[in-house]
Amino acid sequence: MPLPLEGIRVLEVGTFVSAPYCGRLFAGYGADVIKVEPPGGDLARAHGPFQDGEPNPETSALFLYLNTNKRSVELDLGSQAGRDAFLRLAADADVIIENYRPGDARALGLDYERLRAVNPRLVLVSITAYGQEGPYAEYRSNNLVAFAMGGQMFLTGDPDKPPVKNGGYQADYQGGLNAFSAANLALLAAERDGEGQHVDISVQHCMAPILEAGVPFYAYNGLWLGQRRGNLMSSFMGVYPCLDGQVGVHVMARNWPPFAEATGHPEWLEDERYATAESRRAHDDVLMAEVIAWAAGMRKKEAYALGGEFRAPITFIHTMEDLLESPQLAARGFLRRIEHPVAGEASYPGPPWWMGPDAWRDGPAPLLGADTQAVLSEAGLSEAEIARVGAPA
Amino acid sequence: MTAPLAGIRVIDLTMVWAGPLGTRLLGDYGAEVIKVEGPGQWDLLRGLGGIPRTEPRWYNRAAYFNHNNRNKYSAAIDLRQEAGRDLLLKLLAVSDVLVENYRANVMGNLGLSFEEVRAVNPRIVYVSMPGHGKTGPEAHYVTYGTNVEQLAGLVSISGYEGGEPLKTGFSYGDPTSGIAVPAAVALGLQQVKRTGEGVHIDMAQRENLTGFVGEYLVDYSMNGELRAPAGNTHPRFAPHGVYRCAGEDRWVTVACESDEQFAALCRVIQREELLEDPRFSTMAARKANERALHPAIEEWTSKRGHYEAMHILQRHGVPAGAVLTIPEVMSDPQLRSRGAWSEQVHPDAGTWEVETPPWNLTRTPGHARLPAPGFAEHNGYVFRDVLGLDEEAIARLYADGVTADEPNVQSHT
Repeated sequence: MPLPLEGIRVLEVGTFVSAPYCGRLFAGYGADVIKVEPPGGDLARAHGPFQDGEPNPETSALFLYLNTNKRSVELDLGSQAGRDAFLRLAADADVIIENYRPGDARALGLDYERLRAVNPRLVLVSITAYGQEGPYAEYRSNNLVAFAMGGQMFLTGDPDKPPVKNGGYQADYQGGLNAFSAANLALLAAERDGEGQHVDISVQHCMAPILEAGVPFYAYNGLWLGQRRGNLMSSFMGVYPCLDGQVGVHVMARNWPPFAEATGHPEWLEDERYATAESRRAHDDVLMAEVIAWAAGMRKKEAYALGGEFRAPITFIHTMEDLLESPQLAARGFLRRIEHPVAGEASYPGPPWWMGPDAWRDGPAPLLGADTQAVLSEAGLSEAEIARVGAPA
Repeated sequence: MTAPLAGIRVIDLTMVWAGPLGTRLLGDYGAEVIKVEGPGQWDLLRGLGGIPRTEPRWYNRAAYFNHNNRNKYSAAIDLRQEAGRDLLLKLLAVSDVLVENYRANVMGNLGLSFEEVRAVNPRIVYVSMPGHGKTGPEAHYVTYGTNVEQLAGLVSISGYEGGEPLKTGFSYGDPTSGIAVPAAVALGLQQVKRTGEGVHIDMAQRENLTGFVGEYLVDYSMNGELRAPAGNTHPRFAPHGVYRCAGEDRWVTVACESDEQFAALCRVIQREELLEDPRFSTMAARKANERALHPAIEEWTSKRGHYEAMHILQRHGVPAGAVLTIPEVMSDPQLRSRGAWSEQVHPDAGTWEVETPPWNLTRTPGHARLPAPGFAEHNGYVFRDVLGLDEEAIARLYADGVTADEPNVQSHT
């Protein structure tokens, strides 16, 4: 069975996280992803965490993870020769993914009209903080700024402390996954009528509508809580310390009886203060104290197993160690051991969704410029032309 | 100019948020989405709208439900009855895609497993999106959106510096699964076209979200070290944080990624002497001493509104962003200029603003064509026009309780 995206060619002119994550998904599902790196390489190569803490452009965990299964071409889009070579590659590509500010992208030759002239089928996917147009289009952004401007940061944190972002590069990853969905819709359209298009992804627009019930409650009901709630959203939704970590609880009305059983408090089911969802809300403080006391005496895996046994939504906060040891992830074969020529062997997340045993590849990230010669000669460039594209000899 | 998913029919068995957001995106980009709820097994968000149950058709007026379910039709079918199951299979026989987000064993118990659906439609794209996936020892565990980020490892690396792991301020695992649905469906449709055979897509929400922390997993497996929550700081860049602004609980983020940006920041806040200070002369020095920079920046921001601080800093090339509240994202000039919100008219709920399709596919744009459906609003279309049932057969469905025009309001109390 062919890989789902076999035969699709992608040029990724992306730095850091959002465009490379989109490219990683294309590559994992079988597309030929050519990562066009500036001389010296993608910014992510300069970021750790590095193997053993030693800076090395080939051992950054961030780069290794985001760039699996790609080929690397080192090309200076700041030079005319580099841009000419890029246009040759673009003529034969199905998708280009880029994440520069609109003005910077155009300066690098990533101009939709120009690309369309060499390849009308091409889907150009631009991932930016704010979109291609509008008053902030040229504003500078990064994960922290995007998390703030997308409305997710105000909600995250404790009520008496400043807002705080969540871990890693979540705004960037959201941009990358949204772009992957949008790009594949554009590919369906191109397959139908042979026409490509420019796909304009605004990370802010992707993030702002998905604040749970926040937007509809404000827009329709005029309600806005206006306050962060930390880990203690309510007695039935939150993260509570336990003996060896934290447990998480998310009890909808129908889960209340199994939750009381799982926590060893069947008497809660007889307690009239807790008889309905409404009455539980009315006695939220009392119930929360009981849940906190229950969690404090539990071990995390024990609580989780009880949740499973009683069908109660109880989990525990998984650390990276817990992920590597997870019986569930192991049984599903989600984590993949991948050997990299410089960084050696490590565990990587597998596909975001499973669609058959042979639908996802497990190759390593490329060494910087490893495929410059091969890719450019495939595109018909002469040795002399290749020598001028900006890659170090 | 046809929409990317024009001509694709989707049967939507999903409830609450992750699944309904995913299928709504399919509808936004052209698919015909038929949401199937049971007369007693309706989407529980219909009941969480804060509309008194004494009001007529309160279940069609829940803003959160209506937000997640526009561009869909609604049909009521009780899948627990044999006749209901048969009806759904007939519908699946003339559809392209099924999306469900039940716990792993529910579809099998209903007699609607992939194999059973494939028997009536060998080209079906069958998308399951349970929390843990369809297989494995934890597959039957119950999990919701806040649990997903806990299982994905994200909460363990989130939180204030030196603090406990912290949840994201909303059920982060839900929308991050929903946005993956159009890609999964598109890959499934291509696979069917290529092979002629249906495909079962199994999206474990916890696995999808683990993809958002992959570098931490690779790091841990290479180096054996667990990283503690780091608040708003960045491992390399400084200053990189949030600063109090004028007004109640108003903040601006500032994130300098180069010497030039730091120099511009110092000029804007009129503290150019910081540039001469050896504690701040290189990125590495600033990272080591970033706490010492905080008061100087906050002294300037605290005298300004968060938007004002952002605009001034941005005009000087400093990455900065206001921490927007929900009312502010709805009035934000950039989102307004992009057309991120538009009015929607709903026959029961009235007129209010909803978000537009998020991705600008410039040649084949998405559209908000239909308001969210009232419960069972399209029974007639589905039973008569799609399935070709005669009036007598439809009357029997009502008489047997396989369908209904109104939900059983005793559910989800």
